[in-house]
Amino acid sequence: MKFTRSWIDEFVDIPVTEAADLAEAFESLGHEVEEWKILEPAFTGVVVGKVLDVSAHPDADKVRITKVDVGDEVLDIICGAWNFEAGAIVPVAVPGAVLGEDFTITRRDIRGVTSNGMICSEIELGLGDEADGIMVLNTDYPSAADAIGSDFAKIVGLPDVYYEVTVTPNRPDCLSVYGLCRDLAALYQVPLRPNGIEVDPSGEPNDVTVVVDAVDQCPRFSGRRVRGITVGPSPHWLRWRLAQGGVRPISNVVDASNYAMIEFGHPTHAFDVERLGNSIGVRLAHDGETITTLDDQERALLATDVVVTNGVDPVAIGGVMGGASTEVRAGTTDVFIEAAYWDPPTILVTSKRLALRSEASSRFERGADPSFSTLGADRVAQLLAEIAGGVPAPSAVDVNPGNIEPWTISYPLSETERILGIQLDSTTTSNLLERLTFGVTGEDPLTVTVPTRRPDVERPVDLVEEIARLHGFDGIPDSVPSGPGGGLPFEERRLRAIREAVVGAGFYETLNFSFIGEADLDALDLPHNHAARSGINIVNPLNDQEGVMRTTLLPGLLKSAATSLSRRTPEAMLFEMGKVFLPGDGKLPEQPDRLAFVLAGKPEPTWEGAAEGFDVYDASGIWEMLCDVLSIHDASVRQEPIPPFHPWRSAELLIGGVVVGAFGELHPSVAAAFGLQGRVVGCELDLAELVIDRGPWSYIPPSVFPPVIFDMAFIVDAATPATDLAVVIREAAGELLEHLNVFDVFTGESIREGEKSLAMNIRLRAGDRTLTDDDAAEVRRSIASSISERLGGELRGDL
Amino acid sequence: MTTDNSDSVKELRILLAAAPERVARASSVAEIDAIEADLVGRASPIANARKGLGAITDADDRRATGKAINDIAVEIKDLVDERRGAVASDEQNARLVGDAVDVTLPGRRPRRGTHHVIRKTMDEIIDIFVGLGYTVATGPEAETEFYNFTALNIPETHPSRLESDTIYLDYGDKDEEILLRTHTSPMQARYMEEHDPPTYVVVPGKVFRSDAVDATHSPVFHQLEGLAVDEGITFGDLKGTLASFAKQYFGSSTKVKFIPHYFPFTEPSAEMHAYTNGQWIELLGCGMVDPEVFKHVGYDPEKFTGFAFGMGMERMAMVRHGITDLRALLDPDRRVLEQYR
Repeated sequence: MKFTRSWIDEFVDIPVTEAADLAEAFESLGHEVEEWKILEPAFTGVVVGKVLDVSAHPDADKVRITKVDVGDEVLDIICGAWNFEAGAIVPVAVPGAVLGEDFTITRRDIRGVTSNGMICSEIELGLGDEADGIMVLNTDYPSAADAIGSDFAKIVGLPDVYYEVTVTPNRPDCLSVYGLCRDLAALYQVPLRPNGIEVDPSGEPNDVTVVVDAVDQCPRFSGRRVRGITVGPSPHWLRWRLAQGGVRPISNVVDASNYAMIEFGHPTHAFDVERLGNSIGVRLAHDGETITTLDDQERALLATDVVVTNGVDPVAIGGVMGGASTEVRAGTTDVFIEAAYWDPPTILVTSKRLALRSEASSRFERGADPSFSTLGADRVAQLLAEIAGGVPAPSAVDVNPGNIEPWTISYPLSETERILGIQLDSTTTSNLLERLTFGVTGEDPLTVTVPTRRPDVERPVDLVEEIARLHGFDGIPDSVPSGPGGGLPFEERRLRAIREAVVGAGFYETLNFSFIGEADLDALDLPHNHAARSGINIVNPLNDQEGVMRTTLLPGLLKSAATSLSRRTPEAMLFEMGKVFLPGDGKLPEQPDRLAFVLAGKPEPTWEGAAEGFDVYDASGIWEMLCDVLSIHDASVRQEPIPPFHPWRSAELLIGGVVVGAFGELHPSVAAAFGLQGRVVGCELDLAELVIDRGPWSYIPPSVFPPVIFDMAFIVDAATPATDLAVVIREAAGELLEHLNVFDVFTGESIREGEKSLAMNIRLRAGDRTLTDDDAAEVRRSIASSISERLGGELRGDL
Repeated sequence: MTTDNSDSVKELRILLAAAPERVARASSVAEIDAIEADLVGRASPIANARKGLGAITDADDRRATGKAINDIAVEIKDLVDERRGAVASDEQNARLVGDAVDVTLPGRRPRRGTHHVIRKTMDEIIDIFVGLGYTVATGPEAETEFYNFTALNIPETHPSRLESDTIYLDYGDKDEEILLRTHTSPMQARYMEEHDPPTYVVVPGKVFRSDAVDATHSPVFHQLEGLAVDEGITFGDLKGTLASFAKQYFGSSTKVKFIPHYFPFTEPSAEMHAYTNGQWIELLGCGMVDPEVFKHVGYDPEKFTGFAFGMGMERMAMVRHGITDLRALLDPDRRVLEQYR
């Protein structure tokens, strides 16, 4: 809602002078103020003048010489406009006046005649777009005739204050100046002036008949016949208010309808009676029926749409838009002003389907006031009489088959305390509700009568809201209840521990969008049958590049890494924890939580020397650390070629034999596709297995006996994973093994082609005794023979 | 007759008299060690003198001579030890000088990254509510139209259901639309279906709207939803709880005000504004849970009342950290991420 303070003042006298205070008042009522500003005149020194005489200029035929009475003197002013004669009341910029920022009016010579000022047009005064002639005030501002010589700004109501408020969807009654005034009157406890709608009853009787068949869709159809209008521009005061209201002035008939709508909230529509005929019907459309609407679009209708007809064919889509065939146009003289009450869901369904949301439809879908329909038509008729020479019929048409009456709610006073936590007695409560124009009888429960303009008030709790709003939230004392506790669920704590560990390892968390595109999966070079290829499409994506729900976190991270590196900052170590979306068997997609990280670029050299770039062991190190942090003891790594990774530098990650993810260096082509150079490391894994509650860990007392520590090195096939050796050694060493560490990997020289040497440091310790040399020798023999039998490995050196 | 004057002791006294000068001349620990060996070592005159004690037959004489030898040995030993201490200290000092480094060079520091500021914000706010006795729940981001709208009393015809506002997924048999939740509120219904009151829970999470990215909008953002349902919960409880939150999060002097608003799933509804950094800022939406929502989840609206609130994490972070353009929160630039300490 956009409007000015002067319009408010027409209906209610509020004890507020500061513009900001009124903004605060609107807010306290629940009407959010988007903007307010003081409207100052864009001029100074402009007065009301009366043209006494107009004569030709001796040496110029495009201008005329006027004698203008400006109160204390009569000025000769040269004027180039021709839209007036002697007798015109006009705005005059006298010498010294300033228009706009800095256009100062002075006496000046125009072809030998002195011009003592300027008669002004709308555009020169910043009061509109009209530039073709000067403003003539006689009919637009009749009061100006009695104000010759006075400040012209006052005539047009400046200065004023502009407000734009957002009315919440539950308050259709406040989508009008009068409706907001009603709320202000309640707040300040001042009377709301009557609406002032009156129609001169002296015209010819009504000759249009209305038959409503679609009663559910059109519970009430009212209207007023107006004859003898002249279609033309509206007076300035009306156009000015429409402009402040954000509505473009069109012609007096359209403008009157819009003006009345901003003023009182009820949409109306004018039919050209000459083209409409004298019968109006309201019925459901026939499937396939068409109508050409005011915007010259042909619209196909369904039986769920309600139409206004000329008795036979549709002439308007009810509550949504009028038809072109009966549109008021230049030359129209006789109109019928429709003001109906349309069923909100019907209007919404139709306007949504036709993608045709008009100001009228958006109001009807929220709910207009069925009790106001005749007044709505009357107000337009009244305006047309005033500004377009219209003669209204003496009585309105009113077909009211729905007969929607005010309803009542039984309100127990205990509801106030139950919901708000404060006690208000019957008198206080009644008073609050009556200020809001609810009817109230009884003591407890109160019987509250709700006016038809308040479709949002149906239940006691709706009245609680009204009571709270007017009583003021400040009047409700604060209290802080405590919940039963429960704290962070286990899973949440594990997620935090994981994040903390990864951050502690040097990674920066990013939050990427949950959308990817086919191109991202192509960049990852995933095979066509890869699970990540079966992403769920978005019906209405923001753009083509983000048309699929992400099935992997890697593209987002890789793009972020590339962006980060492109800014010439050091290495990118990024991670993300979030959901991916995969088709599943349930109603909803599978939405597992994942962790992914990438390392790209090269750490900057330090004074101790150049740092190594990243490689796959950076990923495995993080994985091992995470398993430590989470006390996961059955984790393993299985070397496999896994896209999108380097086929020889990637692995699956397992917990208890279940694959939970993969890591590796990205395939160089994939890295390049994301604009990354060098070895880029990535990892992505499902978090479900990691956040399982494995119960508290159990204490193992450290042995007090000394260990036996020795090294063993084996020559094995180059393809034998170190982890296989470790598994065999663990099994062979049994309970005595306390620690095992791979400390050397060696190929070449003395080692045959296709083989490698792996050296282990082994620490044995018993819990109950000091180990002897014989104990150690036995374990060494056992390890050596197991490695030999199971992996074909050969011990280097002696047993 | 005394044995003090025996030859060996005399010799030793001469030795002792010469010792200070010899010891003082020594300039390294090694030299001192050699002098020590020479004076009191195995082959020293002192050792020899001790060996000769056995030959003294008179017990008293032997004892007196032994004591004299010992005293001389102790004196020499003290001299040597004192000098060795001084020389060792000098030698160590000389080594330390050679060890000198510039300790102002950058240290070898363990890497440490950052949590995203949105996550930090979320965690911090969660912790505030955990302190008030709430627990935490999370829910699906791809959600049914029922939970996102219908269960929250949002009419079938409400414009927020339009594709211009809500992102829909091409999924399932179309009996029911699947969409990306537009708020964390669906978890209100899901949580209440699964748990009986008293219900005190916060729900953090990602939410989605059909908005292009600009300074104040993003199609993906984060909310935290709160819900407290119990017997006797009132609007005063809502006000007190949220005011307490604002003071804990923005500082103890933070002022708040509540102004009426509208949400389909609360009645009455309000917005909380907070006065921070010299201006009033709209912080969050809240209200008393609408009885219709209780009916959807099987809570008795006659018996229970409750309040709900929802706040944007981006907004909270932006207000507190002076971020004026939401796009900063989407930036993976290291110079931005490093600030999220």
